[in-house]
Amino acid sequence: MIIVLAPTARSQTQEASLSDRVFTWLQFQAIPSITILSSTSATQTGFEWEATPLLYSFGMTRLVSPWKSFIVEPPARFTGSIEFVVSGQILTEKVGNSYFGGSAQLLGHIPLIERGEHLGLTVGIGSYSFSQSTPFFKVVGISTLFGFLHFNLKQSASPKLWVGSIEFRFF
Amino acid sequence: MTQADWTRFVKGIAFVFLALPMCGCSSYVTRIVSYSLQRMTEPIQPPAHRVLSPILPNTNLAVLWVGHAAMLIQIHDKVFMTDPSFTKTIGLIVRRAVEPGLDPSSLSSVDYTLISHLHFDHFSYGSLDLLPKNGKLLIPSGGAAYTPELGFAETRELKPWEVLEENGVRITAVPVQHFGGRYGFDIQWNAGRGYTGWVVEYKGKTVFVAGDTGYHPEYFKEIGRRFSVDVAIVPIAPVGTRESGSRVHVSPKEAVQILEDVNAKIMIPMHHRTFFQGVETAPTFAQDLLKRILEEKKIHARVKILDIGEQWIE
Repeated sequence: MIIVLAPTARSQTQEASLSDRVFTWLQFQAIPSITILSSTSATQTGFEWEATPLLYSFGMTRLVSPWKSFIVEPPARFTGSIEFVVSGQILTEKVGNSYFGGSAQLLGHIPLIERGEHLGLTVGIGSYSFSQSTPFFKVVGISTLFGFLHFNLKQSASPKLWVGSIEFRFF
Repeated sequence: MTQADWTRFVKGIAFVFLALPMCGCSSYVTRIVSYSLQRMTEPIQPPAHRVLSPILPNTNLAVLWVGHAAMLIQIHDKVFMTDPSFTKTIGLIVRRAVEPGLDPSSLSSVDYTLISHLHFDHFSYGSLDLLPKNGKLLIPSGGAAYTPELGFAETRELKPWEVLEENGVRITAVPVQHFGGRYGFDIQWNAGRGYTGWVVEYKGKTVFVAGDTGYHPEYFKEIGRRFSVDVAIVPIAPVGTRESGSRVHVSPKEAVQILEDVNAKIMIPMHHRTFFQGVETAPTFAQDLLKRILEEKKIHARVKILDIGEQWIE
């Protein structure tokens, strides 16, 4: 990753190829977020990988399409957007009979400071799938550090569950 | 989980939190950030000058150094602002050492705001929010994906050598040598685009703004062939502790070479002294180096070294 990121001067005509760009995107998608799942009986940790099938941005210049799919430059998200996110999780201990979970979430990102680049608010709803259970969650959180770092809290009333996540969102 | 598990967990998160943002940074960026953090409590110095009425009623050409790469350029009745920077920090962490030499509220109108590239110190959303919005915002090709709707009358992307011409004003995006992206991890993503220089022509006056660039003789000589440059605004830092530049930043010596290549009548240096960068041994290192070169070459008359807030009037 460090090699890829090393600053390289290029002439104006040497634009990144599509494969370079997709490879960069894939690298950063591979970085997991950290999830803490807390129920009345146990607390577990795990890793979570998010992807964005669809995002509508309402904060960007009209020179670019407001619709994004999978590849989302950070400003499109943090300047104000509605995002459909899917994620997969690996937990450190089994929930029911599985280490794996998944979610689908609908999130709204609201810019607070510096167009959301310094601080943003996230609210939304989501459904997680753990073993046989698919609880419905309310989501609230903040984002900072250029939209890379998200602290989200998700709460389900039935069954009573909390999910805290530290999410790294690059694209 | 036991207490030991929690301790390990918290340490792990702290490591990821600190390591991830830094892993995309060169030692240069890391040094700037750490130097700035060391100076969190130092007061921001006032500028040497602060012009209260920067727009002059009758002038052919005037250039005011706001600080870093922000220049207010007036050619007759048209006002141009380059890379506006008024915020106390850039990129959340890097602190301003000297206050801006211009209060943006003193500007009633800016006809064209020119962005050279997408890095925090040149494309500051918070600073752009402080400017009048009656004019146009010009950004380099590839910049739109990083540009919020800022409320300007129009936002335009220009490719190298593309021209915007209207009402007697002719603005050309010219090639320079720098690097794309904004956040470090997207250098490769946005490689080869998202940075430019600008040549502004109006009523017989021509100003070349180099933005942020390494030395590329073919580009600058071509600019010299195509335009009759009156003023070249050229960066002279960061240069580090050495006297030569890098692939992406010119040294004072190379800045003077750009002056020769574009054959400008006057050069005004910029991109130094404004933020706690910590890459030079002293804040005035690049400026002192430039002065030494000017003495050696006997070209003092062609280089106007401005203080922050100082306005040069032709």
